[in-house]
Amino acid sequence: MMIPVRCFTCGKVVGEHWEEFKQRTKEDDENPAEVLDELGVERPCCRRMLVSHKDLVDIVAPYQ
Amino acid sequence: MSEFDVEFIDRSEDDRDARFVVRGVTPAFANGIRRAMVADVPTLSIDTLRVIENSSVMFDEMIGLRLGLVPLTTPPGEFEAGETVTLALDVEGPATAYSGDLVSADDLVKPADENVPIIDLKENQRLELEAEAVLDRGKTHAKHQGGVAVGYRHLQTVEVVGDLGEFEDDEPQIIRGVIEDDGELVPTEEFGNDLRNRYPGKEVRVEDVPGAFVFDVETDGSMSVDDLVLEAVDSLYARADELEEAVQL
Repeated sequence: MMIPVRCFTCGKVVGEHWEEFKQRTKEDDENPAEVLDELGVERPCCRRMLVSHKDLVDIVAPYQ
Repeated sequence: MSEFDVEFIDRSEDDRDARFVVRGVTPAFANGIRRAMVADVPTLSIDTLRVIENSSVMFDEMIGLRLGLVPLTTPPGEFEAGETVTLALDVEGPATAYSGDLVSADDLVKPADENVPIIDLKENQRLELEAEAVLDRGKTHAKHQGGVAVGYRHLQTVEVVGDLGEFEDDEPQIIRGVIEDDGELVPTEEFGNDLRNRYPGKEVRVEDVPGAFVFDVETDGSMSVDDLVLEAVDSLYARADELEEAVQL
């Protein structure tokens, strides 16, 4: 639903990078790998948290 | 208390990441420090919520879990285990509630990261709550862990033992971590983690330096790397003292 606050595996806080990551990869069409490097998300376990995430709040919102 | 020789290799500007060499410790003590950093250094983390209004799409419990995972700055020595700090959150939609919206009753304690989205709020949705952050250890819950992905490995030396035969297979010599070369510490990333790049055409032998460990420490932002390591070492000594007292006749 929302981006997890921390990486499931190592516990690094990844939630804070989500909005910048989304903006830069979806709208500015940057290479996700480079964006993650610049954000300091280095380990594969943290990278998959951002790469594989899909925001679902907007889809769930009408069914309160 | 014995002295250890500590030498930093690199550290980030925000003091959340560091790599350093410690000399004169046993493997058991090195692992003790690592474990203390992960499980024994207490940090503040939201544990109890009083929800006043939650008309968001998430249940109270889910929001409680998300808030709990937000790291809070914990100045060492200021709080006792079990002490609580109250924080409040009040956001009205349409907006996103961020960790930075948390208002703390104590100036020393605030969210270490302000950009963590807690929940998206639509029109007519509101989130208002009071939260109690409690000081506890990583042993109790992972949200209290100060160290993230803390690890160590042996410092290694590379010795050139001779030349590679002219027609010998050129095999990769992959090594990761930090090597010591003539008293100089070289992170292996500098030569692409492959010893062939540093010693072309040479036959090399890699050996561990006894009693020297390269620590790789990252914190979640609740305290700086220095504080985390010092607190971890102090907790080890405190436990040793406790043991000594308990077994005395």
